[in-house]
Amino acid sequence: MNRKPAPPNRHRKKQSLFHWREQLLSRRRFLLAAAGGGLACLFPLASMADKQAMQQDPWPVIDAVQQQLFPGEPGIPGAREINALGYLQFVVNDKTLPQEDRDFILQGTTWLQGMSTKKYRRGFTQLNNNEREQLLRLIAGSEAGENWLSTLLLYIFEALLSDPVYGGNTGEAGWQWLAHTPGFPRPPADKTFVQLLKI
Amino acid sequence: MNDFDICIIGSGAGGGPVALTLAEAGYSVLVLEKGPWFREQDFYKDELACCRRSVYTPDLRDEQHVIEDLEDGQWQATPTSESGWDFWNGNCVGGSSNFMSGFFHRLKPVDFHQLSEFGPIDGANRVDWPISYNDLAPYYDRVEHEVGVSGKFEAHKNIEPRSGDFPYPPTREHIVSSWIDRACDKLDYHSLRVPRAILSEPEGKRRSCEYSGYCGSYGCSSGAKGSSRAALLDRAVATGNCEIRPHSKVIRLRSDSRKKVTAVEYIDGKNKTHRVQANTYVVACQAIETARLLLYSTGPAFPDGLANNNGQVGKNLLFSAGGSGSGDFEFDSIRPDQLSPFRQLGPFVNRALDDWYTINDKKLSAAPLKGGIVEFLFSHPNPTSRANSLKWDDDKLLWGKPLKRKLESWFTTDRTLRFEVFNDWLPTDNCFVSLDPRVKDRWQTPVAKVRIGYHPHDLKIGRYLADRGEQVLQQMGAVRIDSSVSGAPPANLVAGGCRFGNDPKTSVLDKDCRAHEVENLFVTDGSFMPTGGSVPYTWTIYANAFRVADIIKGG
Repeated sequence: MNRKPAPPNRHRKKQSLFHWREQLLSRRRFLLAAAGGGLACLFPLASMADKQAMQQDPWPVIDAVQQQLFPGEPGIPGAREINALGYLQFVVNDKTLPQEDRDFILQGTTWLQGMSTKKYRRGFTQLNNNEREQLLRLIAGSEAGENWLSTLLLYIFEALLSDPVYGGNTGEAGWQWLAHTPGFPRPPADKTFVQLLKI
Repeated sequence: MNDFDICIIGSGAGGGPVALTLAEAGYSVLVLEKGPWFREQDFYKDELACCRRSVYTPDLRDEQHVIEDLEDGQWQATPTSESGWDFWNGNCVGGSSNFMSGFFHRLKPVDFHQLSEFGPIDGANRVDWPISYNDLAPYYDRVEHEVGVSGKFEAHKNIEPRSGDFPYPPTREHIVSSWIDRACDKLDYHSLRVPRAILSEPEGKRRSCEYSGYCGSYGCSSGAKGSSRAALLDRAVATGNCEIRPHSKVIRLRSDSRKKVTAVEYIDGKNKTHRVQANTYVVACQAIETARLLLYSTGPAFPDGLANNNGQVGKNLLFSAGGSGSGDFEFDSIRPDQLSPFRQLGPFVNRALDDWYTINDKKLSAAPLKGGIVEFLFSHPNPTSRANSLKWDDDKLLWGKPLKRKLESWFTTDRTLRFEVFNDWLPTDNCFVSLDPRVKDRWQTPVAKVRIGYHPHDLKIGRYLADRGEQVLQQMGAVRIDSSVSGAPPANLVAGGCRFGNDPKTSVLDKDCRAHEVENLFVTDGSFMPTGGSVPYTWTIYANAFRVADIIKGG
């Protein structure tokens, strides 16, 4: 398109011009609360005092959430088949990602674990499929929780449909599934955006 | 003895023509560009690099804008690092012309005297230009050759006067173009074959278009797209008279008490400050940044910014009014022999309607109104962005199998044809650039604050045109037809802010685009435009920059 759409917000769900301001405030409130330990007001069931949850490795939790958000099916790729987890690790380790976004992705697992422990007395990865789904529905009911899931979905889509040079879209599985024709020439490993930023 | 004859700040469509013309004429030229210098071999069809990370534009934490929009009757200022609403359009050698779609339109004669032709509008600062279409026409021609414009001259009801045919035949066209033509015939509309600043045949070191279908927003890897870099600057450098310095952020222009610019100060990529002197200075940083640079460049004779003793710098900023619409063509409904060409990505649509460039419709207004164009196009095939837009079901986040079924349906069962409406963004007192009093960039200079108010008349015209676009889609048999017209500015279609005109009290530049108050200062980006016209700006910016280059060359 020649007209650059406005305003492009990564977390936008409504088309209204000023909705991004609400989204921004929601993320700000979440991070402030996370920093100050006041999450209880945002997530009444979460217990930030759960030190055990806070010390856990976030990646198994994210892996489980990604599979819930984007499950594999026979012949159709899911999060695992497109290496969504490895791709998100690349994203989080990319120095150009704002620290705020990195914190948001990783700290989200802490309160998800907190809520899981509070509600089921088990961590998220120990829940069965129904319990996982219910818990995600529950957190999607809060704006920050919904924002977090929306962010994870964004990076699942990047893993699904970006060039495999970035580590996702294994064997071009995402492109094949959605009959997407990539452009050419395609980026070689020495011309990824990470490399281009050094020019 | 000055370091260079000419120092140009900014390397996009406003800077390139000046660099090439003067370098070819034997002048020594320096081009200062804030961003890096990407070459053809750095451009790949990579959605992350083009559109999802800050590769071609600054990180908003380092450099941003503050946008003032009207909410509940109050002007509210929001830094773009917070909103994510990015107003950068390409900061690298060649500027945003690297990333344009390249559908090219000339202004029409009527755009040069809108006030005389259509009269004033309350709340709008409509004026006539100090030059006419005939003054610019030879330079539109020159752009066709120098930048490379592919097209075909065809008799058409509204076609602006021009001499001869295009230097390159039209780019390959998509099957949908003929469907548009047929639908327009039925409606008694006159579809127009749109020229494109993309080479359909190789020229010099530039290859012809390779039709990958990934064009707008992407840098061109064949050199076919007529960016300032590929078409002009590479040739300027080859003369031996032009030097381009990337990673050179100009902080300010220094001026003396005799109202002459005396030097440019810039900071290089290693944070070292430099000072360069030239006989003539040309500013072409795209409208918002040009105004910002002048406003920040105070001096003994210019306490409020360079060339700003009448307070006009930054005023009457223009975007492009209008909106967009779309309709879907379901694969099931398409003749089997046409399905494969319809799904093809590479060829261009190259179709627009300018039947309502002047609207004579008594139902809308007793007197003729300035209208605009409807341009047909396919969306950029950016799959991640597209998928991400599908995760909402009304206001509810969708995931799991329902999300996957939706993706399958949206990606594999139809293709969307879009149209964009371009009409005049009326100049008003509510759309301007100033310096933000608080927010600074990474060089500790104040960022541009942009008030983005629009005139309600723009929406009326935009809606009128969008309805016509919808009619065409309807006639073509599209489903789920929809359109929206809004006052939200497209950040990449920006002009004005340093109007040219005959009266120094109401304009910054004279008709030659030289600052009224500063003898050795020219502005050659889109800033000069006092009214916008109803087409994308690039061809006009190129043409005017060639015109001004001839003036500078002539002394």
